[in-house]
Formats: sequence, structure tokens, C-alpha cells
Amino acid sequence: MDRPAKGVSHMSHTYGVSRPLHEIRFKYVLTVLLCIMFLSVGLRAVVEADEAAEAKIGEKIYKVRCMVCHGKEGNGKGPSGILRKEESTGRIIEIRPRDFTLGLYRFRSTATGCLPSDEDLLLTITNGIPRSFMPDLKSIPFDERKAVKSYIKTFSSRFTEEQACKPIDVKKPKWVGSEESVNKGKVIYKNMKCWECHGETGKGDGSKSEEIKDDWGEKIVPFNFQTGELKKGSSAENIYMTFTSGLDGTGMPSYEDTLKEDDRWHLVSYTLKLMGKLDKGKSHTQSAHK
Amino acid sequence: MYSRFYLSVLLISSLLFLTYMALVAFNGVMPEWKYYQLEYKDLLIKNAKDDAARKRAEAIPVKLQQIYLSAFNKEDRCTSCHIGIDNPLVANAKLPFKKHSGDYIANHPVDKFGCTVCHEGQGSATNKREAHAKGHTYWDYPTLPLSYIQSSCAKCHDFDMLSKKGGDKVAEGDRLFREKGCQGCHKINKVGGDLGKPLDGVGNQPIAYFSMKHVIGDHTVPTWLKQHFDDPRAIVPTSEMKVKLKGPESDLLTIFALTLRSDELPKAYRYKTYAQPPKQEGETLYKTFCSACHGEGTQSLYDEVLKRTIPAIMNPSFLKIADDKNLETIIKEGRNGTQMTAWKTVASGLSEDDVKSIIGYIASKRPAEAHEPFPIKDLTGDVNHGKELYAAHCAVCHGQDAKGGENLIGINLKNPTVTKMVDPEFLAVTIRDGREGTSMPPFGKEDFALNNQDIVDVVAYIRDSSKGSK
Repeated sequence: MDRPAKGVSHMSHTYGVSRPLHEIRFKYVLTVLLCIMFLSVGLRAVVEADEAAEAKIGEKIYKVRCMVCHGKEGNGKGPSGILRKEESTGRIIEIRPRDFTLGLYRFRSTATGCLPSDEDLLLTITNGIPRSFMPDLKSIPFDERKAVKSYIKTFSSRFTEEQACKPIDVKKPKWVGSEESVNKGKVIYKNMKCWECHGETGKGDGSKSEEIKDDWGEKIVPFNFQTGELKKGSSAENIYMTFTSGLDGTGMPSYEDTLKEDDRWHLVSYTLKLMGKLDKGKSHTQSAHK
Repeated sequence: MYSRFYLSVLLISSLLFLTYMALVAFNGVMPEWKYYQLEYKDLLIKNAKDDAARKRAEAIPVKLQQIYLSAFNKEDRCTSCHIGIDNPLVANAKLPFKKHSGDYIANHPVDKFGCTVCHEGQGSATNKREAHAKGHTYWDYPTLPLSYIQSSCAKCHDFDMLSKKGGDKVAEGDRLFREKGCQGCHKINKVGGDLGKPLDGVGNQPIAYFSMKHVIGDHTVPTWLKQHFDDPRAIVPTSEMKVKLKGPESDLLTIFALTLRSDELPKAYRYKTYAQPPKQEGETLYKTFCSACHGEGTQSLYDEVLKRTIPAIMNPSFLKIADDKNLETIIKEGRNGTQMTAWKTVASGLSEDDVKSIIGYIASKRPAEAHEPFPIKDLTGDVNHGKELYAAHCAVCHGQDAKGGENLIGINLKNPTVTKMVDPEFLAVTIRDGREGTSMPPFGKEDFALNNQDIVDVVAYIRDSSKGSK
């Protein structure tokens, strides 16, 4: 390594020798660039071929595990139809299985309007969705879950047309869950009119809660913070992600542009408070993680 | 020798003691009720229209009033303060001088009924705090809030009479009690379901029987009942009670619940017509015993409180398959392992006739055309193949163990009622045709295309797997 470096420093002093070196450099750079290009194209082809093969395996699993609700065409109109559920408060909810054909996903780690990352899809497939009837698929091997994910992506052309965006950075400040932060969050909750849908106490009974419709034109209801776990997960990070990414397709927008990062974290604190997650134990942040 | 300090301590303490003694003596001579009676007397004198009336008012003696009720062996001293209770001259005066409202006094003379028979409270007390006994004494029966007072009417009167005359609220509460299906979970007179506590005597149970930890406001039984009807889980966090009440309904049911007493008034007081209660229709019985969970029964529903899906028992595609015999089996035996308790006579107190009229009501919605027959007798099921099919198609909703339950839209299949008592054809047709109004898809059609042999295999597996687990 030492020798060429010496040579370069030595030769660069003389005008005559530096020219061929430029050519060498250019050729070298060109080759490397070409190599990278071919490699990436090749890799991409391999990955795509891999995904296609995976999708085929995924189809088989999909037909057995998912089709009954999500339908053969992935449009969410499976033979089981709409699932009905009564919450402990007496509110009746109609759960419609996800329509995959629009490529619209609620549970993402990417900005609003973006496609979800493969990890996002895998997370949902693996863990299921609490309080809906989406079961977890922890019982089947990881490869098969990946295959299902690949198959689900074939339902929407968005996955071939668009690139997934960069995942949103989540770095939880230490003060999340502190009393001061909760109070700040409370003010934001009021000012941003969260209560219009989610209600003053987070019961999902706000004045507008009756009239919300999703992108498919179906009536949906805002979350009642007092009934249990959030569908995306109830950790502080998950809630922050919901505020930042928005739940595309529903009435829940992204606040990435309208609220500063700290404010979003304050809102997380207040949400945890409404969910009753801060009452247990002394350590606020720990209980929020669980 | 004489310390100024000790002298002053002695002086102050003896002064305090003397003041205390003087106060006690004064209180003995001038109890609370005496002030009320004097004020009442002044009121009458002031409002007297002529000399005769004034003279009569001036002649009223100031003394402790007491009504002795021999039938109850107790005395009510309430009229010591509520002194104008039957005086029409003070109809609009303030409490406690005011005349009793309505014409209740005319029909229930004070000297025969006293006050606490209807209003509760501690009749022998001579001051307000102890007489009303609300929340801060150990007296178990504080005065009933006036909004709930109609519950006392039912001590002597039947609901038929009350609905027509003066007891509309308590009669409405009685109607609601049946309509809301309370007896689906609670027993009264040994009739009803098993999920909740029996309600006999709840109306006069001492306060100690109720956990007042989460009750807001007065710690009395009526407040507990009212807040419990509004939000059961706010008062009893582990409660599985399903209530959907609107507006005043929780108050009406509170009034009704207070009528469920274990004691009875002396016979001379009771005015009930003890005619045989009319035979209840199937629809009324359905509402009373089934509707709390099943509702109208046309669509199935996962319930977050019961943590399982409640089947639709009134939809046509169910009734097409479920003949009266199957219905009777399911109703009488219940479904072990779910909240559906057995409704046979020994378990629920319902008579054979009652069960028959409930079945009659459910069956009245049965469509005319029968289901397509299933050739179940011609096929023998292969348990192992059935097991594979179950894991592939059924487990996602009914669970790996076929028990349904939390976060599963499918119902419990692993109970003796399904596996032993109900016809295998019942299961086979359900799998083949699915069930409208629920999330059970038709596995014989569309994308699944299980053939009859497959279906029989699954039926064999369902019926077998439970046997193995026993």
C-alpha cells in the first residue's frame, strides 16, 4: 500500500508523467463503475427472480392462511366477509380485511404516501394485528413468511413501479413519559384537535368520530385508547411512528410536517397517559416499552 | 410553690370542661328537632288567617313525635322534624316542614305506615345525620333518594297495578329487566343463567356486600347499582356484564333492582294480587334469557368482554340445518367451555314448556325450503386427512385446539354438544354451505372446493379430536 502512494506523490511533481496517470485513473474508474452497474443489474435480476420464485411458494401459503379473509384477488373480499366485533364499551366495529390491490398500508416505517418496507410487511405477517382477527404467523418458518410477503406484493403494481422510501429514524428522547412532557402533549392534543375524533379522554368518541370514512369509502372508527393495545403496537416508538408515518388509507394523517419532532414525542407521552400505560410502576419508560 | 403555669393549665382545662358540660346539657334541653318544631310553630302563627287558627297554632305542644308501628315492632320519629307531613297549610313550605307530596299520605296514613317503611333511614334517630344515615354512619339502610323511591311501592303492590297508578318508573324497570335479558346470566327465584350472581335479596343487602372502592359520590347501594349499570367495569373491574342502556334506563333498572328484597312486609300490608302469572310468550322468554348475548341473533359478533364470538342463532341458514331436536340439545346442554350455560330445568330453573316456547320462537324464523341433503351415511371419514384439512382451513379462525376464544372469530367446536350430541350432518352441511350472517364461509364452494369426502373427514376429525382429549 505504501509504494503506490509514494509513487503518486513523487510523480505528481513532474508534469510529463501525470497525463497517462489520468488515463489510467479514468479507465480504472470506468471499469469499476461498469462492474458495479452490471453487478447491481445482475443482483437485482437475481433478487427479482428470487422474489418471483418466492411469490410462487407464497401463493400456496396465502391460499391456505390468508385467502379466507383477504380473498383470492387480494382485494379484502374473502369468503368470510366482514368480521363483526363488539368492544367492551358496547361499540360495534366492522372489521374489513385489508385490500392489497391499492398498495396502501397503514403500518409502515416510511413517510406518508410511501410504500412499506419489506420489514414492515414481514412484521405484520409475523406478529399479526391485535384486536383485529389477523393472527400471528409465528408458527410457520421465516422463509415461508417471506414468501407470503412476496406474494402479497404482487397484488399491487405499485411495488414494481415505485421504490420503497427510506425508513423514518426513531430516537426516543429520555423525557418521554415525564409529567412535563405529558402536560405539553395534552396541550398539543387539544390544539391539533385530536379530540375531534379520539374524544376528550381518548375513548374514540369525539364529535367527528361518527363520520370518518377510509379511502375505500367505508365507515371506520377512531381508536379507543382505553380498550387495549394499539394495532401497530403500543410502545412509545410505535406510537411515534404512527404520528410520523400516518396511517395511510384511514383518517389518521401524518404529522411529520405539521408537528416538530419533540412535539410528536410529547404527544406520545400524552397518548401513553391516556392508555393508562404510565400509571403502572415508577419507571415510565419501561412500562411504555412493554 | 404555686406555679403560675400549672395554675393556668388547671384553669383553662376546667373552663373547657365546664363549657363542654354546659354544651351537652344545652343540647339535651334543646335538641335539633326542637328548633325545627319552634320554627314550624312560628311559621303557622305567621301564616294564620284568623285568630282561631293562630290560637290553634300557639297551642301546638313542642315535644318529640313518635309513631309506633306494632306490626313492625319499631318506631319512627321522623315526624319530630318533618312535622307538617299531613298539614295542607304547609303544602309549599320548605323542607322539613313541607306536606308530603301527592296523595300518598291519604292512602297510606302515617300512623299505620310510618315513614321508614317506604323511605328507609333510621327511624329511631332524633337528629338528621343519624336519621338519614347517608354514607357516614354504620346504618345499613340510609334514606332512599326520592328518584328511587318507587322501588318501595313494590313491597306491597304488583307491577300491573303500579304501571297504571303511581308506579310507572318501577313498572318500567321491571319491563326493562326482562327486555334486556338480565336473567340470561342472573338467577331470580332459582330461574336464570349461571354467569352472574343470583339477584335475590340484592335490594336490601347491607352495604358491606358491595365493593365501594370505585364508587363516586355517596357510598350507598343505590349509587353502586346506578354506576354499575352505567359502566360495570368501572365499579367491578373483572365484570363480564353486558349492558347497553340509554338515558334514564340505568336509573329505572336501579329502581327495579332495589325491589329484589329478601324480606317481606306483614301480610296485612301487602296488596298484591297473587294470581297465577300469565304464561309468557316465546319471544318474551327469548328476550329474558337469550337476548343479552345473542341480541337479535341474525349476525354473529365477537365480544370483547366475553372474549369469544357469539353465534347467530336466528339466521335462516342456521335454522335450515338446526331442526327442533338439535336446537333442544344445544339449549338444554349448553356449550361446555363457553359462556353458554345449560338451560335444562335442573340447571336453569326453566320449565320444559319454557324451553319449548323458546324453540318455537326461534324456529318461527326458519325458512320453508330445507337444506340440500348431505350423503353423510354413505361416506366414512378419515380422521388423519381431516386433521390436515382442519389445520389448513379451520385453525385460522377456530384455533389450533378448536376451542375458539380470545381474538378468534370462530366458535368453540371442542365441546360435547358439538362432538357428541349434535348430528354429524349438522356439522357437514355447515362446513359445506357456510353460514350467512357469520364469518363461516362455504367450504364446499368457491375457492375452497372441498368435496363431500373432505368434509366428512373434517367432521370425523372434529368429533374424534375431542374424544381423544377426554
